[in-house]
Amino acid sequence: MSISRRDFLKVAGLAAGSALAFPQSASASSGTDSNDHVAMLYDATICVGCNACTNACRQWNETAPETDERGTYDAPRELSAETYTLIQLYQGEDEFGFVKRQCMHCVDPACVSGCPVTALQKTSDGPVTYDKDRCIGCRYCMYACPFHVPRFEWDTARYPVISKCHFCYESRIQTGIGGPACADRCPTGALIWGKRGDLLAEAQRRMDENPGRYVNYIYGKDDVGGTSVLYLSHIPYENLGLEDLGTEPVPAISEQTSDFLLPTIFVGGPLLLAAVRYIHKRGGWEETWPI
Amino acid sequence: MANLTKTNRRTNPAFWVLLALTLLGVGLSIYRLVVGLGPSTNMNDHYPWGIWITVDLFLIPVAGAAFTISLLSYFFGREHYHAIVRPAVLAGLIIYGIVAVLLFLDIGRWNQFYNILVPGYINLHSFLEEISLSVTFYSIILVLEAAPIFLEKWNITAPIKWIDRSIFFIAGAGIVFSVLHQSSLGSLFLIMQHKLHPLWWTGALPLLAYLQAIYTGLGMTAIAITLVWRAMKLPMDRELFRRLGQVMSLNLLLYGAVRFGDWMGSGELPLLFSGDAFSLLAWLEFGLGIIVPLAILLSKLVGHSAGPFWAGVFSLIGTFINRLMITWIGLAEPNPVGYIPSWVEWMITIGLIAGGFLLYSVIVRQFRLLPEAKTAH
Repeated sequence: MSISRRDFLKVAGLAAGSALAFPQSASASSGTDSNDHVAMLYDATICVGCNACTNACRQWNETAPETDERGTYDAPRELSAETYTLIQLYQGEDEFGFVKRQCMHCVDPACVSGCPVTALQKTSDGPVTYDKDRCIGCRYCMYACPFHVPRFEWDTARYPVISKCHFCYESRIQTGIGGPACADRCPTGALIWGKRGDLLAEAQRRMDENPGRYVNYIYGKDDVGGTSVLYLSHIPYENLGLEDLGTEPVPAISEQTSDFLLPTIFVGGPLLLAAVRYIHKRGGWEETWPI
Repeated sequence: MANLTKTNRRTNPAFWVLLALTLLGVGLSIYRLVVGLGPSTNMNDHYPWGIWITVDLFLIPVAGAAFTISLLSYFFGREHYHAIVRPAVLAGLIIYGIVAVLLFLDIGRWNQFYNILVPGYINLHSFLEEISLSVTFYSIILVLEAAPIFLEKWNITAPIKWIDRSIFFIAGAGIVFSVLHQSSLGSLFLIMQHKLHPLWWTGALPLLAYLQAIYTGLGMTAIAITLVWRAMKLPMDRELFRRLGQVMSLNLLLYGAVRFGDWMGSGELPLLFSGDAFSLLAWLEFGLGIIVPLAILLSKLVGHSAGPFWAGVFSLIGTFINRLMITWIGLAEPNPVGYIPSWVEWMITIGLIAGGFLLYSVIVRQFRLLPEAKTAH
C-alpha cells in the first residue's frame, strides 16, 4: 500500500507541475476599445474602380506587379503574396459595383488566435501585424481566416513569408506619415480612414441622409464580432463576396474549448489516473470491468 | 540467429524495395528543402495544406495504441497487455518520428521551427501550438519508454532501473499529453466552422478525435500483433484479442453515438440523405469505419484471430476517410482552384513510411520486443 501512496503523490505532483507550466495566455483580442482603433470605410457607391489604391499599395510596399503574358497590365484577380489589396468588379444583370479586398483587421481575429508562435498580433491600435522572425510558415492562419486573406510565398525557397495587408501600421500610422497608403491615395473619397467609432457614425450618417442609396447594412460593424474595414454598398454584400458569417467572433468556440480542456486534462487527467491506480492496487474490482 | 536474419534480408525482395523507397524519399526531402514548396508540391493559396497534413493526422491516431496500451497495462493493471507494450511503444516512437519529419518538411520557415518552444512566443489558445508542444513532450516520453528495449541488449542497466522506478510517472505523463494532442487534432478545426463541411464540423470534434485515437490505435495493434506473431510463428493469445476487441467496440460505440447524436442534435441529419458526394462520403466513412468493425467485434468473429484484425483494417480505413475529409475534401473553398498531390509529395510520404517499416522490422529482429521471444535467445 505504501507504493500506491507514493504513486499517487508522483502523479499528483505531475498535475501541479503541469498547472504551473501552463499559465493561461492572454486573449487574442487587443483589449482596447475597438471604437478607438484605426479603421477604413469603403463606400462601393462612390468607388469608380480606378485602382489608385492598389497602385499606392504596390509603390509603398514595393510589391511586384502581376502582369499578363505580354507584361502589359497589372491585373491580379485575387489576393496573393504580392497583392495585399485589389479592386474586384461585380457585374450583375442590370447593376454593377466594385469591391476592395484586403485584410479586414478583425476586432477578434482568428489568425491571431490560431497562430502557434504569436507571429500575428492584434495591436492595441487595431491593425493585425505579422512578424516573420516568429513565423514558422505553418499556414494555419490561412485556414483560420474566414475571409481567405493571408497568402503564402510558394515560390520562395528560403524562407517564405505570410503576406497580407498590415494597414501600413509600422511604416505610416506609427511614424505619423498618415493613413494607409491606399486610403491616402483614393481620389474619390470612396476609401477613407480614421477611428472606427467615427467611421461607423459616418457610415450611419450616409445611410440616413441618402435613403434608398444603400443596402441597409454596414458590413463589418458586427460581422464576426466586428472588423476594422467597414463597407457600404448598393449591391447585396454576398454578391460582392462578403459572406454572412454571423456576429460571433470566429475564434470564440476554439478559445472556449482551449480554456476548458487545458486545465481539465492537466489537472483532472493525473488525478483520474492516480485514482484508477489506487483502486486497482486495492483490488477486487477487476473481474467486473469488461476491459 | 544473426546469420539467419542476414541471409533472410539478402534474399527478401521486400527489404530492397523498402530501402529503395526510403532512399528516394530522403533524396526528394532534400530536393524540397532546396527548391521550396512551390516547385516541389501542388499546394496553393486555396489549399495551403496537402497530403502531408492528411497523413500526419491519420498516423497520429494510428500511433495512439502506445498510450492506450500503457493506460490499460500500467494503470488498469491488465497483465494481458504487458506483452504488447513494447511493440506498441516502439511503433508509436517510429510513427511520431515520421510525423515530425513530415511536419518539418511542410513548414515554410523550417530554419526557425524551434520557435514553437520559445516561451515568449507560445500562444496557448492555438491548438496547433498545443499539438506542437504535447507531441514534443510525448516523443521524449516515448523515447524513455522505449529505451529499455535497446539498453538491455547493450547491458546498460542503471538507466533501466531508473526508468522502471518512474514508469508510472513516465507513462502517466505520456497518457496526459496523448489525451491533449489526440483531442487537439479535432480541436484544430473548431476555428474553421465557416469552412469545414457541416457533416464534419461539430463542437464535439475534440471528443471524437480522442475516441478515434483509442479505437484506431487498438485496431492498429490488432493488425500488428497478428502480422508479427504470424511471421514469428508464435501461438496467438486469444484472451488478449478478446479483451482488445471489447475495449475497441466500446469506443466505437461511443464514437458512433456521439457522431450520430451530433448530426441529430444540430439538425444536419437531412444532409446525410441529400445524395451529394459529401453525404456518400459520410456514409462510406461511418459504414466502413464504425458499423463494419462493430459488426465484426460484436459477432462471434471476435474470438477468431481474423476478427480483431479485420475490425482493425476497417477502422483504419474509416479514420483515413475522416482525416481526408477534415483536412482536404471537406474544406471547401469558394475558388475552384483544386489540389492533387504532386509525385514529390507522394514519394516523400511513401518513402518515410517505408523507412518506418524498415526500421521496425530491423528492430523486431535484433531486439526483444515480445516476451515469448526471450526463450529463443
